Amino acid sequence: MWFFILAELTVFAIFFIGFAISEQQNLEMFSQGKAQLHQLSGLINTIALITSSYFVSLSLAAIHKQAANKAALLLLGAKGFALIYISVKIWEYFSLFEQGITIETNTFFTLYFLITAFHLMHVLLGMVILTFIAKAAWQGKYQGKSLSGFEAGASYWHMVDLLWIILFPLIYVI
Amino acid sequence: MLAFRLATTSWLVLVVLTLVTMYFPIIISERSAYIICALIIVVIKGQQIVDVFMELKSAPRFWRLLLLSYIVMLPLIISVIYLN
Repeated sequence: MWFFILAELTVFAIFFIGFAISEQQNLEMFSQGKAQLHQLSGLINTIALITSSYFVSLSLAAIHKQAANKAALLLLGAKGFALIYISVKIWEYFSLFEQGITIETNTFFTLYFLITAFHLMHVLLGMVILTFIAKAAWQGKYQGKSLSGFEAGASYWHMVDLLWIILFPLIYVI
Repeated sequence: MLAFRLATTSWLVLVVLTLVTMYFPIIISERSAYIICALIIVVIKGQQIVDVFMELKSAPRFWRLLLLSYIVMLPLIISVIYLN
């Protein structure tokens, strides 16, 4: 899992560096593009992902104490906050589409849609992983056994959060 | 209990730093200054996620250093691009 996480981090690093270089070459376009984004939705999504990661962290602590059902419920909470993130992101996309803004509008929006949609796919995959480990925890499959599967799933989710922590100021604030 | 306290403190730090980041363009007029401040906050937030949420503080040193170097090097590269 760690090699997979490192590979994902590298791909996103290339995206982020590419975004920064493009911005330096098109300062006015990127400034106008950022002004058209809904900053509050970026803020809500950041807090939703941070809180989701917090729940996963508590869930890991619970499974370490053999409280499998509590761990599964905490993962359910984490998925709830991830759903807030997904809902806000989809609303944000449709809000831009209504303004006539698409992936073809300009370089800023091409990169904006590519990077955020790629991140959204990671959130969706992360939710599938969280569902899988929550189900396994609820069924008692981690009782007295190795927790490496659970830990790997949790680490993947924290990576998704870590990426958004960098993405948020880069696209919405700076 | 310690894990709960640590995670909760870290979550609060992350939320407060996120809110602070939003206000940089308003309270700091110079672009280069708020870029540096925002990227320093990225490093602090990343360290919280790596050490507290991912629990890498107690993991093999190699993986922790690898992740920490990512969250330091990437904002550093981005700041060099923006400030050039």
